[in-house]
Amino acid sequence: MAASTFCFALSPLSKIKCNVNIIYTLNKRTAFSGGLSKIKGVEKQVAALPERSSQGPRRPRREAGEPRTERMSVDQDWTAVYPTAKSFKQNAVPLPVRMGYPVKRGVPPEKKGNLELIKIPNFLHLTPVSIKKHCEALKPFCTEWPNALDSDAKCEEHFPIQVQSKDFVSAGPSLRNPKARIITLTVKLSSLNLDDHARKKMIKLSGERYNKESDTLTITTESCPLRQQNYDYALYLLTVLYHESWKMEEWEKEKTRADMEEYVWEDSPSQKNILETLLRMHAVEKCEEDGGVQKELLGRPEVEEYKDSVTKLKNEGENECNIQQYKDAVKKLLNI
Amino acid sequence: MKTWNAEAVLQALASTVNRDTTASNYVFQDDSYLTPRTSREFKLYYLSQESGRNAAKYFINTFPRYFQKDFAEPHIPCLMPETLELQIDEVSERALTECIQLRKVKAAVDMFDQLTQMGSPVSLDLTNDLLDLICLYGDQEPAQDVPPEQRTNDMGEKHDEIKIKKGRPRRASDFLKIVWGENNNAERIFNMMPEPNSCSYGALIRGMVKHGSIPKAFIMYNDMLNNQLTADVHTFNALISAAPYLKEKYSEKWDLIIDLLKQMAYQKVKPNVLTFNAVLKALQRCGALGRVQAFPVLNEMKALGIAPSLASYDHFLGIFYKAASQAQEHKEIIQEVLNEVSGKSFAAHDPDDVNFFMNTMKICLDTKDMEQAYKLQSLLDIGENWKLLGDSFHQSVYYGRFFNLLCMMEHVDVVLKWYRELSPSLFYPNSQRMRDLFQALDMDNRLDIIPQIWKDIKRMGHDNNTELVEEMLSLMAREKHKPEVQQSFAECALDVKTLYKQTDYGRVQLNWSASSLSSITLILLAAGRIQQAWEILMLFKVTNRVPSEYLLKQFLDCIQMNNNSEQAVALVQISASFCLPLTSHLIKRVQQEFELNEEQKNTLSQLESSLFE
Repeated sequence: MAASTFCFALSPLSKIKCNVNIIYTLNKRTAFSGGLSKIKGVEKQVAALPERSSQGPRRPRREAGEPRTERMSVDQDWTAVYPTAKSFKQNAVPLPVRMGYPVKRGVPPEKKGNLELIKIPNFLHLTPVSIKKHCEALKPFCTEWPNALDSDAKCEEHFPIQVQSKDFVSAGPSLRNPKARIITLTVKLSSLNLDDHARKKMIKLSGERYNKESDTLTITTESCPLRQQNYDYALYLLTVLYHESWKMEEWEKEKTRADMEEYVWEDSPSQKNILETLLRMHAVEKCEEDGGVQKELLGRPEVEEYKDSVTKLKNEGENECNIQQYKDAVKKLLNI
Repeated sequence: MKTWNAEAVLQALASTVNRDTTASNYVFQDDSYLTPRTSREFKLYYLSQESGRNAAKYFINTFPRYFQKDFAEPHIPCLMPETLELQIDEVSERALTECIQLRKVKAAVDMFDQLTQMGSPVSLDLTNDLLDLICLYGDQEPAQDVPPEQRTNDMGEKHDEIKIKKGRPRRASDFLKIVWGENNNAERIFNMMPEPNSCSYGALIRGMVKHGSIPKAFIMYNDMLNNQLTADVHTFNALISAAPYLKEKYSEKWDLIIDLLKQMAYQKVKPNVLTFNAVLKALQRCGALGRVQAFPVLNEMKALGIAPSLASYDHFLGIFYKAASQAQEHKEIIQEVLNEVSGKSFAAHDPDDVNFFMNTMKICLDTKDMEQAYKLQSLLDIGENWKLLGDSFHQSVYYGRFFNLLCMMEHVDVVLKWYRELSPSLFYPNSQRMRDLFQALDMDNRLDIIPQIWKDIKRMGHDNNTELVEEMLSLMAREKHKPEVQQSFAECALDVKTLYKQTDYGRVQLNWSASSLSSITLILLAAGRIQQAWEILMLFKVTNRVPSEYLLKQFLDCIQMNNNSEQAVALVQISASFCLPLTSHLIKRVQQEFELNEEQKNTLSQLESSLFE
């Protein structure tokens, strides 16, 4: 850089006491030239330093002009200044923004020459005004929204499957982005025609892809190289899941209690315990007509209540309401 | 189902964007340090970008083996290296075709000669292609491929045959103008041809017209007619454009053109827009006859269904508005023309299209017609017409003339609005335009804006123009203004003063003159800055300039307001040192209006007595 070499050369110069002030004696007589005698006239040192080019006075270093924000009027058209996504230009943005780690005992650095502001993405090209303009310009390309679909619920009802894909735009030598091939397919299981067994089987088959709270099945495919292929694959997976969950395999009959998704009271230890307790309480004849006594016992409303409360506790977890219900049921059952 | 083309969405979004009035041209970096501020810088930066691009292209094409890897997806063919060197080594027609495609004139001619010497005749089409190539470049290599030091001697001889107008400094275009030499390769090859067809004749005629050998072109044309061949529309266009140079008298020129047009009709060659443009351009050199025939030509053009291009209108106006003095006679013509073109979007059909805006604005300037100028300016906003404004030279001339007209005719608010809109994004006003602006400000009493305009002047680099600076200073110094305005003037004047100081680098930008010194002093006095005004007064002696009487009187008035008798006496001493006739008057005034002590009274009486010696 020219400036740095200038500094290096200057230190030996200062030791040479040349008569720098010759040309300034004229000015010394005038009242206003107070501090001129200290000026280091570079071109006068030509004789002392032969390597300095003797082509006359060096041109003054170019001054930075004023930023064009000074000339911007308050009611200018901002969409003309930032029509497309561009990096932050401190020359063109009339806002006194500051960004970065604060200078010691000071404030974050100003926008002039601030790399932090340039690195981050900005949305100066998407002000509400410009978005309105864009929407107006794009209206001729759009068709009317169908009148029948005027609420979200109706959209859900008629179009239960939603497919999402992403498009990427960037400046670079290549248009292609490998992330653009990913397809995400979401569907609510309630909108599918599933009976109880099919639903449970489907949930088991989908595993992590099923979200219990929102009852949505999400299938993400990215294994094929093209988006169209991924889309076809996702639909194929959905179809296969659906049909498979309706089928009943031989070995499914061997479903044990450990495979059950939810707690079933029949044939559970809790039922057995209650029966024993009740039998002991009522001191009924043992083992005669077990089936009938059991059924009669189980048919009682307190037992029903108890069954409900235990099922609830096991399925929904423990909370105030459930435990209260359990307590009441037990009390009734045991006549406390 | 409505369909759109591939870019329809982008075009729709682009239509929402207007021009940014504070930004410079889009090719430059948008930074306060890097944008060009004067027209000289603009040209320099623009050309340096172009030269960088050319250098890069040169490297890619010279060393194609390093640039084979293709990163672009999808493939961009124009970024890959081009083959500029001949690949085929043998002597054959294929090699000749390749030479012609790569536009290597000398190599093609050599190849042709070798082929004929070998005895294998070259086909008619290929020979015609070769003739086209030679005639296009006038038997020289295409200029940019051959650096000046490589041009051979025989090329150099042809360049000496150029006549240079006396008194005009040689321009680069003079050296590059190619002249049709005697016995050049095109004629030689043509004479060797057993059966030249109309294409061959056409190539030769057009080459001769392009490179200035017009009588030969007409001889060749007569040859062609004798051989019962029909020329095509391009040949006719060339002949028509050459006709005015063949004859001297207006009527003869016109008769020749009519003759050619009749032959065109007889041979059933359809004219195109370039034909009529050539006719109109020729009419510009036909004096009064041109004015008579201009309208019929234009009507004929429309009757044939050929839409006039901007060049047609440009030549048409050029027939009527040759000199500024004639402008008043034909006012309604420009109105008619502009009415006809307004609202239409034009495309480029003729290389002369770009002159339309520049020349028409000159006519508006000469006729002082603001309405037509606005019509012309609004034509630029329609469709793609801005592309026809031309390169930066044409653009700067056009906007310069427009601004000139505005300053003359319009109220200063309108002028300032256009000023902010046009500069510095579209053009860089030169110092003459800035003086026009000052006059406009003066006319409507808006001199308070001068300090802001001064900032612009400094930015554009006109601060080394003595006349401009002095005019500005005298405008500020002329009258009294409101106090805030006066203070801003004082700041501006002090800023100007720094220009007269010697910079660190030993150069002085401006030299003091009596008017600039007195203007600055008056401005500072009006703002009440007596000490600074005093410093300037001291400069008079140093620079050997004489202060005016008005200035000294004003100074004394100011001093009187502060009642500083020291300064008053010093002022009188200064006046005496210049031996001004005003001195005695000043002495009397000081003696009467100030309270003086003994010493001061003595000084004054000494001065008084020295006056009468």
